[in-house]
Amino acid sequence: MLLVSLLLLTVQTRGGGTGRAGELVAIAVTPLQSLLVRIHRGALGFWANYIDWKSVRRENATLRGENEQLRVQALQAGETREENARLRRLLVLRDRLPLATVAGEVIGREAGGWVRSLTVNRGRGDGIAQQTPVIVPEGLVGRVVQAHRGTAVIQLLNDPASTVGAVVQRTRTAGLVEGDAGGAVRFKFMARDGASVAPGDLVVTSGLGTLFPKGLPVGRVVKIEDKGSALFHFAVLAPAVDFSRVEEVLLVTGQTTQDVAGLFPSDG
Amino acid sequence: MLRLLLLLVTVGGGVLQSTVVAVAGVGGITPDVPLILTVLIALRYGPESGCLAGFVAGLLQDATGGGLVGVQALTKGLAGFGMGLLVGRFWVSNPLVQVPGLVLLSVAEGLGRFLLLQMFHYPASLGDLMLHVILPQALYNGLIGTLCILAEAAYELMRRRTWM
Repeated sequence: MLLVSLLLLTVQTRGGGTGRAGELVAIAVTPLQSLLVRIHRGALGFWANYIDWKSVRRENATLRGENEQLRVQALQAGETREENARLRRLLVLRDRLPLATVAGEVIGREAGGWVRSLTVNRGRGDGIAQQTPVIVPEGLVGRVVQAHRGTAVIQLLNDPASTVGAVVQRTRTAGLVEGDAGGAVRFKFMARDGASVAPGDLVVTSGLGTLFPKGLPVGRVVKIEDKGSALFHFAVLAPAVDFSRVEEVLLVTGQTTQDVAGLFPSDG
Repeated sequence: MLRLLLLLVTVGGGVLQSTVVAVAGVGGITPDVPLILTVLIALRYGPESGCLAGFVAGLLQDATGGGLVGVQALTKGLAGFGMGLLVGRFWVSNPLVQVPGLVLLSVAEGLGRFLLLQMFHYPASLGDLMLHVILPQALYNGLIGTLCILAEAAYELMRRRTWM
């Protein structure tokens, strides 16, 4: 360093100016300087990127959280909207029916096959008794088989032990609607009376006896099964009600002799 | 403490059966969670606990399901007792025996239930029940039982590793 300094001083003294020494220094220093500047800029850029990345990451987490929250809210809103629509339809039916009814909410299900039932949050305390018919806007669900103080168990139409008196609306062919172990609903009728029963026919409650009001939709005939019996034929029904989706019901506590078929959707 | 735990598991299984499981069926078939829990309890704690768990679970199912009260209490109680008695024999502690055992026990429980219900003029035929309810449910029980056994084995493995 001393030598270099002396050399530089000598060059300046002999040459009479600082130009040459400055040039020499510049030649040596410039690449280093530019390298340092580049490193400095790179480091600054890296830091800025790191800061950006950090804030983007935080922002991303916040946005994800918000997105999640909005999704939950949207789901809740959708659920509420659907529930609202279902309750509205139930209310419309309740207002139209010439019967006293109590609305109930499904709080339990038994779908194992041996027994098919729903449990609702209405019971003896609400005036519900055994054999109370249970309906939804699409048609008949079943009947109450156990009424406890605050809950009731409803036997569904497709329960193997369920039997309901019914008629084919178009032909007035009388028969019995029964559930079976496979979860299907069948209409059993006298073969000699049911020659004209055809797929698409609506089967409604007959109103015979005092249990079910007349005209509650039960299901539509899907096909006729002639099991070789001379006496009876069976029609497989598509139930008017999708039992797995029932969430609110009307328990019919009053009686009427009026045919209520017109109060239900004709495509049910 | 053990009794309280058994009671909680059994009642929890019954509640699960009438709420979550009922809407999660495949093709209308649902597993019999209380029976699976009864078998697992019997395998772990013996015939008395299995019998008690089965009885409580069955009674709860009978009471909430709308069927004849006492039928499942009896069949599930017997299933729990029987499974508990078999522990230590026929390699019942082996998972390869437990799963087919659970399937067979489900079928046997179904047959027992059918025979009992016959005394009360249950209308469905055995053929229909076997085809649509007993066999599919037994297989479903076997599947769920397998998952439970695997989960239990994984839990045991993790616990041992934590101790080591």
